[in-house]
Amino acid sequence: MSVLLVLEERGGRISRTSWEAAAAVLRLAPANEVTAVVIGAQTESLANEAATKAFGKVVRVEHPLLAHYTSDGYCAALHQLIQKESPAYIVFPHSYQVRDYAPALACRIGQVLIGDVIDIADGPVFTRQFMQGRLNGSYRHAGGGPCFVSVQAGAFRPDVPDIALPDAAGATPIEAFAPSIDAAQIRTRPGEPFRGSAQTVDLGSAQLIVSVGRGIREAENLPLVQDLATALGAELAASRPICDNGWLPMERQVGSSGQSVAPKLYLAVGISGAIQHLVGMKGSQCIVAINKDPDAPIFEVADYGIVGDLFEVVPALTETVKASKS
Amino acid sequence: MIFALPTLAEPQHFSSAERLIFVALAAVSVWAFWNRFGIVLRKILQSKKDADFRLFPIGRRVWDFFWEVMCQAKVIRQRPLPGLAHAFVFWAFCAFVLVTLNHCATALGIGFLAPEGFISRCYFYFAAAFALACALGILGLFVRRFLLRPKWLGEMVSWESGLIALLIFALMATYLAAFFVTNASPAARVLWWAHTLTLLIFLPLIPHTKHLHLVLSPVTVFLSRGGFSRIPPLSGDEDFGLVAGKDLTQIVSLQAYSCVECGRCTEHCPANNTGKTLNPKQIVLGLRGYLNEFGPASEEPLLGKYNSQQAAFECTTCGACEFQCPVGIEHVPILVGLRRGAVNTGAWEDTHGAKLFLALERGSNALGIPAVERDKFVEKNALPLYDGTQEYCLWLGCMGGYDPKGREIILALVRVMQHLGVTFGVLRKEKCTGDPVRRLGNDLLFQQLAESNIEALAQSKTKKIVSICPHCVRTIQEDWKEYGTPPPVEHHSEFMARHRDVLPKQQGSEKIVFHDPCYLGRYRNIYDEPRAVASLAGQLIEAPRHRERSFCCGAGGGLAFLGEEHGERVSHNRAAELAATGASIVGAACPFCNTMFRDALAAQGAGAPQLLDIAQLAARVLPQDNAT
Amino acid sequence: MKIIAAIKQVPERDAQVRIDSAGKWIDEADLQYAMNEPDAYALEEALQLKEKAGGEVIVLSAGPERVGQTIREGLAKGADRAIHVVCDDLASRDALGVARLLAEAIKAENPDLILTGLQSEDLGLGQTGVIVAELLGLPHTSLILQVEKTDSGLKVKRELEEGWFQSIELPTPAVLTIQSGGTKLRYATLMGIKRAKTKEVRMVNATDLGVNAAPVVTLDAIMLPKKQKSTQILDGSAKEAAAALVEKLKFEARVL
Repeated sequence: MSVLLVLEERGGRISRTSWEAAAAVLRLAPANEVTAVVIGAQTESLANEAATKAFGKVVRVEHPLLAHYTSDGYCAALHQLIQKESPAYIVFPHSYQVRDYAPALACRIGQVLIGDVIDIADGPVFTRQFMQGRLNGSYRHAGGGPCFVSVQAGAFRPDVPDIALPDAAGATPIEAFAPSIDAAQIRTRPGEPFRGSAQTVDLGSAQLIVSVGRGIREAENLPLVQDLATALGAELAASRPICDNGWLPMERQVGSSGQSVAPKLYLAVGISGAIQHLVGMKGSQCIVAINKDPDAPIFEVADYGIVGDLFEVVPALTETVKASKS
Repeated sequence: MIFALPTLAEPQHFSSAERLIFVALAAVSVWAFWNRFGIVLRKILQSKKDADFRLFPIGRRVWDFFWEVMCQAKVIRQRPLPGLAHAFVFWAFCAFVLVTLNHCATALGIGFLAPEGFISRCYFYFAAAFALACALGILGLFVRRFLLRPKWLGEMVSWESGLIALLIFALMATYLAAFFVTNASPAARVLWWAHTLTLLIFLPLIPHTKHLHLVLSPVTVFLSRGGFSRIPPLSGDEDFGLVAGKDLTQIVSLQAYSCVECGRCTEHCPANNTGKTLNPKQIVLGLRGYLNEFGPASEEPLLGKYNSQQAAFECTTCGACEFQCPVGIEHVPILVGLRRGAVNTGAWEDTHGAKLFLALERGSNALGIPAVERDKFVEKNALPLYDGTQEYCLWLGCMGGYDPKGREIILALVRVMQHLGVTFGVLRKEKCTGDPVRRLGNDLLFQQLAESNIEALAQSKTKKIVSICPHCVRTIQEDWKEYGTPPPVEHHSEFMARHRDVLPKQQGSEKIVFHDPCYLGRYRNIYDEPRAVASLAGQLIEAPRHRERSFCCGAGGGLAFLGEEHGERVSHNRAAELAATGASIVGAACPFCNTMFRDALAAQGAGAPQLLDIAQLAARVLPQDNAT
Repeated sequence: MKIIAAIKQVPERDAQVRIDSAGKWIDEADLQYAMNEPDAYALEEALQLKEKAGGEVIVLSAGPERVGQTIREGLAKGADRAIHVVCDDLASRDALGVARLLAEAIKAENPDLILTGLQSEDLGLGQTGVIVAELLGLPHTSLILQVEKTDSGLKVKRELEEGWFQSIELPTPAVLTIQSGGTKLRYATLMGIKRAKTKEVRMVNATDLGVNAAPVVTLDAIMLPKKQKSTQILDGSAKEAAAALVEKLKFEARVL
């Protein structure tokens, strides 16, 4: 059996969510039956990074027209690869890019993507959420042909030892695959990505994040939380309402419409924990929630919780942190 | 004795030339009067019919006419000194009807009150007494307007008011002076002519000035819709509220022409008092200006040249204007009507407003919080579900179901009800009553919410509702009627006041100032009940503005949801007044007032009084072992 | 420009969802429905494009009779006419099955642009628009916040992750899936509802469209999610709780 794992690039390296998808793939097949796929115009370094893991092989899908992502280009290239490899499964990280082309790619061969999967059990049975996270559904692939699966960010731990390459073994073999793509096939003309605002904040790589929500009530109260972040040496983030109000720039927003983060510590202050927010931070290693509503959904995902008035708890915490550091 | 007093001198013989001059002048005067009055009358009559107008039951109308017009009760009660001065002018005018008719008839040789006759002499003295009071009254009003100049009368000095005052004074003076000359003296003839000319100048001035209220306001009071701030139903498929002149109804046009520009509405308007553009007097005068320029059939938008959309949406619908108005103008239905016109056609674009509407189109509460949060609250506090067997259906409302402070009020009321052994239950599902969208003029959404709630209540076989929110109470009882038959509803102040005698009292050292919510006081005429409840827990003191004159918290009319206000915050203005009473507790009886004052009192700094609902006041003196 | 806005009727966000007795789907008795919010944004974008550039907006929705209510809401907001694909077995079709219905209904109209929401609030598949494009052989792009008509086609603003955006140009006809929040929704008005009464709603029977309904992916069972973590609640005064938390973060979670 062969499984295709489509890896994505982020900042010149393979993205964290791709490694999470790699962890998920192991529920379907052992690592040596997995073909890791990297796509682009120049994929050498990505391929080398992928080859450090114990995959069966790494395939470089390379073409000048794949320099920038387009649904048409990716569908054409991967369609040809699938025809060549005839995999049983094609697994993706559930990224904005995958959402854009994987459903069309699946459709092209009469298949349907099982998207945003949070768990894979024997069968295989795929679990995905619906009704805004209030229910889980278990899905099966019926009939023949390859099964398309995309894996939700944060659902699997990326640091699975099973794909670490044993020191003794040689590097994973790398193959090249050159799809034939005609420029006329690519109908969309993507421009360069740009930032919503001038300032750049990299919450994605932050180790400690203090995030503030609606409970702060007014923009004037933000320094209270900023002080805590400063004391911890953490980045300041926020839930959507805070950024919607313009109290903090959009790039500090965590959630489905903002950034997905996975720091060591995520401290949520006055955030009730709407599902849109939870999906952006639930991959964090340790989650702390401070909220006066003991029923706030944020406590459902928190490791530690303080039920109380943030206007009392946050200054006390700032003091304690300062004291513990001095 | 009476014959020792001077007799009214009135020339009894007029030459043909004099008669001719009198008739000619009178004809010119009447023509000048009608020339303007006829236009006004036509504009009113050509306005759209009020589809819901019913003359009967007429008793209420007769009483309003007697009390507000004949007794001048509202005029006097709300501004005692100028009110009394005005009343004397009014009563003198009434007394002068016969005198004036006789005065004119004399010139034509058909006078019916002989100066020497006993009855006529009595009547002339009677009129003279009023003339004296009127002359003093008008003098007082003159001094007030031109020397004291209260800002409610407008920044511009009204010369026309001065002229009118002068004419009224001249009428009275020429009448009174005639008691001190003899019939035969030339002075008598001079006084007669002076009185006549004053009269003939005065008459055409009436329809050309705000003194049109002399003629119109008694009719306006008599024909008013009745019911406080009652929003009339829309009629037919093309009625979206007050969009253009064609939507102005006869009653609205009549009211627009009746305004006497006294400014009482503006004086009490919370928006105007905190630096906003809304001026209820200008809204009414704006409609009058519109009618004068465009007329009642026009397609020209009402919110445009004469009135602004911004002003219309600054109204908290507190009803202080309408309550104060001495000439029967119903401001709130007009303001809500203008909003309906803007919202029902989609002309109103407001980020916060659209957010509120969308939250209620898609969800259950005005706060936009998932309904599951209400379920959790109900479950966590083990509130019984209403199953038709309990005495009361406890209506949580948006604030009681979702707002943490509102929930505290509900839980306090629950303790009181449990202490009293009164059975109650809450509905499994509840939607916003539609109060904010009703006042903001969204008829589509209001209808959906009202119908959905009425159906849910009917299914649950609800017999009686009790609510902590005066807005819910008002909307359920009055506004829902348009779409069905709501169960009887009462405010928790009424419920608790009825059981006051069996509730514990602990009138210690606490000084409690009670803030009358607009929708409980002016809208429902409930003033004593919440005070009776609040006094269980301490000594009551009053704020300068209380009961009927209570000052709004700023939340009504959907404004609690419309984001930051221009100018001073209404809530801060009121909170400062409440704090200045020196009370240790502000007693509230509305969760919206509560939410507004929460921050506003905090802004008063240290030592600001504590804010508690009357249910919390009643609950705090319950025995501790009863605590749940 | 002739624009089709494909909208879905979903359970109201506030609805209490219960699993039906078979454990296969939610109990639909007693449920109230609303227009899927991302679709409402798609419709809004369509209406704004029409207001700027002229043309026609057609609302398209598939589902049982109750969907008519959501269609009327779309007409009330300003769509010119509607197509209702009457279909009682929507829940048992997979994304491809539903997209086939919509694509068949769209073909006859030859629109310049097809807009739909990024995903539905009930199933949250986020695939239907993209598959419709593939079935119709049209270019598409997803997660769109703004649409602008140009001489050669469209220029759109696409949301990427982590606060990044991208402009994309593409020719028409095309399919776009719209992200919530790119524009402001209009509220429904009484005037809109009254005007909607006279607008055309064309009913098309799903069975008459002759598409394959057999699913490739099946939903076996639905269940309530397991609570994944146990939360330690730290009690005491603000000071005590703060001290306890720092202690735990240092020595138990070892993240400080």
